[in-house]
Amino acid sequence: MLRRNTRLRREYLYRKSLEGKERQHYEKKRRVREALEEGKPIPTELRNEELALRREIDLDDQDRAVPRSIIDDEYAGATLREPKILLTTSRNPSAPLTQFVKELKVVFPNSQRMNRGGQVISEIVESCRSHEITDLILVHEHRGQPDGLIVCHLPLGPTAYFGLLNVVTRHDIKDRKAMGKMSEAYPHLILDNFTTKTGERTANIMKHLFPVPKPESKRLITFANRDDYISFRHHIYEKHGGPKSIDLKEVGPRFELRLYQIKRGTVDQSEAQNEFVLRPYMNTAKKQKSLGV
Amino acid sequence: QRRLHILQSTNSLPATTAMAMDLDEPLAAEKGEVALQQLRRADPSVYLSPSADLAAAARAALKHFHSSLAVVSPVQPPPLPNLLAGPNFDAEQIWSQSELLSRPLLPHLHRQLRRLEHQPPAQPLATPPPSKPSEAVEGPSDEEEDGEGDESEEEDEGGLEDTDDELESEEGEDEETEELGAKKGNGVEDRFLKMKDLEKFMEEGEEQEYGGGSKGGEKKKASVNLMEDDSDEEDVDEDDGGDDEDDDLDLEDFESDDEEGVGKSGGDIRYEDFFEESSKQQVKKRNGFTKKVHFKDELHEMEVDDIEKDDVNDGPALEDEQGLSTHEKGLLKMRNQIDLMEKASLEPSKWIMQGEVDASRRPKNSALEVDLDFEHNVRPAPVITEEVTASLEEMIKKRIAEGHFDDVEKPSTLPYKVPKQQKEMDENKSKKGLAEQYEDEFKEKTGIAPATLAISDELKNEANDLFKRICLKLDALSHFHFAPKPVIEDMSIQVNIPALAMEEVAPVAVSDAAMLAPEEVFEGKGDIKEDVELTQAERKRRRANKKRRYAESHKERPAKLRKENSSNI
Repeated sequence: MLRRNTRLRREYLYRKSLEGKERQHYEKKRRVREALEEGKPIPTELRNEELALRREIDLDDQDRAVPRSIIDDEYAGATLREPKILLTTSRNPSAPLTQFVKELKVVFPNSQRMNRGGQVISEIVESCRSHEITDLILVHEHRGQPDGLIVCHLPLGPTAYFGLLNVVTRHDIKDRKAMGKMSEAYPHLILDNFTTKTGERTANIMKHLFPVPKPESKRLITFANRDDYISFRHHIYEKHGGPKSIDLKEVGPRFELRLYQIKRGTVDQSEAQNEFVLRPYMNTAKKQKSLGV
Repeated sequence: QRRLHILQSTNSLPATTAMAMDLDEPLAAEKGEVALQQLRRADPSVYLSPSADLAAAARAALKHFHSSLAVVSPVQPPPLPNLLAGPNFDAEQIWSQSELLSRPLLPHLHRQLRRLEHQPPAQPLATPPPSKPSEAVEGPSDEEEDGEGDESEEEDEGGLEDTDDELESEEGEDEETEELGAKKGNGVEDRFLKMKDLEKFMEEGEEQEYGGGSKGGEKKKASVNLMEDDSDEEDVDEDDGGDDEDDDLDLEDFESDDEEGVGKSGGDIRYEDFFEESSKQQVKKRNGFTKKVHFKDELHEMEVDDIEKDDVNDGPALEDEQGLSTHEKGLLKMRNQIDLMEKASLEPSKWIMQGEVDASRRPKNSALEVDLDFEHNVRPAPVITEEVTASLEEMIKKRIAEGHFDDVEKPSTLPYKVPKQQKEMDENKSKKGLAEQYEDEFKEKTGIAPATLAISDELKNEANDLFKRICLKLDALSHFHFAPKPVIEDMSIQVNIPALAMEEVAPVAVSDAAMLAPEEVFEGKGDIKEDVELTQAERKRRRANKKRRYAESHKERPAKLRKENSSNI
């Protein structure tokens, strides 16, 4: 297990170093391809290599046409397997927090909730790896109000740290009976306004928490980015026949997420590299929109 | 009203008495006194009903009063020296006459009274303060002594205490000096300050400066006094002198003083004349808190009063708290403030003003109490309003309508490995004989014949054949116009061995034609020459070709080296 991990890590670093070269190569091929398609003369700097490149282009298939960044390599095999999530809290959670975590368990399909007890984070991560869990979610609180969410993708995956705001739980809503039962089908996803690289990375992380849904599923989860605050909404929709009317019924908790850190390693690797860190005390903090437009 | 009442009743006052009163003053005075006594002794009940005696007495008394007051009136000669209070005169008329006299006198007397209040007599009063008219009577006698105007009168009336020594009568002075001599020691003297020493020093100084005849003392005081003296002597009723007090410190004043004197010779001017105020002030202080207040009022009065210039020099000269002018008080206040501010600057400043302050440098929880103001660079957290929710839902509905979800995509179905070939078990009997099969295997093994295609599906081949046949027919339809004959690939092994080597199962007619053609045996062009047979030119040509081929195949070589090679050649 240990040797495998070290080998994987070395591979990863090697691929990271190659990434630059590969990208150049890919760029060249792309340019040649474009020139050929449009019938324009090939750029002069590529004339010598043009023949070799052309041969390679012919051999390229769909999979290899787009250069794969190592960034999302963690999710390369994610689509093959369904995600398996473990939910847990910080130590000594209060009652409202445990309720909230129970709600989240219903929101994420294929998820399990675990009592934290007195376990150490590294222990938890090790046990998750051995049980082939793909994602670990930790929820933190402040005086009963949930205020932190940590999403950790497990085999060497990235960790995203969110702050929670404006949390409204299903328990808060008095008239729960009226809401009825919540469908437990695999939900559709809407990820709105994640345009920057960091935004797309975040979108990827959140996307791969959910399995592939059936096309006719009526359940819908939305992550909408407005001004660097991601709104989480959970709806059940109904399409009534003719006049394009869609009935949305809100179900499940609603909260705002605020991303403040993405780390390249797992939760227990505190020395891992930071992909993204929120800097709110800079003078230009007001102008910065790191997740989207 | 009572008086009126009384007066009205008297009708039978003999004319003689009135006449007598006009002519004979002392007699009238005596009579007046008598009348007064009578009025006083009368029983109050008698006043209730009109009585002729009382009326007569009243008139006599009034006459006496009037005549005595007329002497003291400020306006001389008085407009009406004698009261006309005959029996014919109405109460109203008598009243108006007396008012004519008394009206200008009243404020004058008020002033005198007030001065009496402020300045209690230094001398023990031999007699209780007499009533005003009697004082007025005594006044003229003193006047003659001093040889001054009304002011000295006032002073006597006002009391025997005067701030200005020079204007006092000599009698008063003597007494005062005795008194002050006793009091000086108590008030002013210290272990440092001895009055006798001071006197000696002053006299010496004065002698030095002015020669004999001490005139000096505090210049200010002297000038003030002198000015007042001048004014007093020159103008009785004007107030010029009082205002000039501090401005002019000319020697002229000293000289003038010297010439005119106050009734004393130059050498008689003493320390007490100038410095008596200090002891007096002490005395005043001892008498109570109210004195301070009164003193201030006096200062005010001074500005208003034309005649009173006595108290002028007291104010600015003395350094007591009472004695400060408004300007000096202001200065003192400012001084205090300045002291406070200086003290504050010297102390270490409050933590708020100390720049970067840790939690360890300030008192506990102090940052909570202070109203800290700083720019928040963070955008505030979003408030989820109805509008926000509505906009989100709109976007969601739009997406649903389009069917545009960002779900996880199923993985692509490209095989990573080549799928295993599943060989179908052919149930038919194989067409090839067993020997042929062994032959094929041997050929493959030895490499004589290349391996056949792994995917040799009979069905596929059949389909291919059929398709080609169809194509041929279709081409025939178009008259074989530019339609090459389709190549039907018929894999059969062409071995370059003579027919005789083949087996008997071979066809009847054996011909070389089935064997490999010469070009299939050998590939090459023209004259094949060995290296030995080549001419020089041909050798060169070969080398050039070789080089060209080499250059083509090794195009990765850097351009520089290629150029070098070409240049070398």
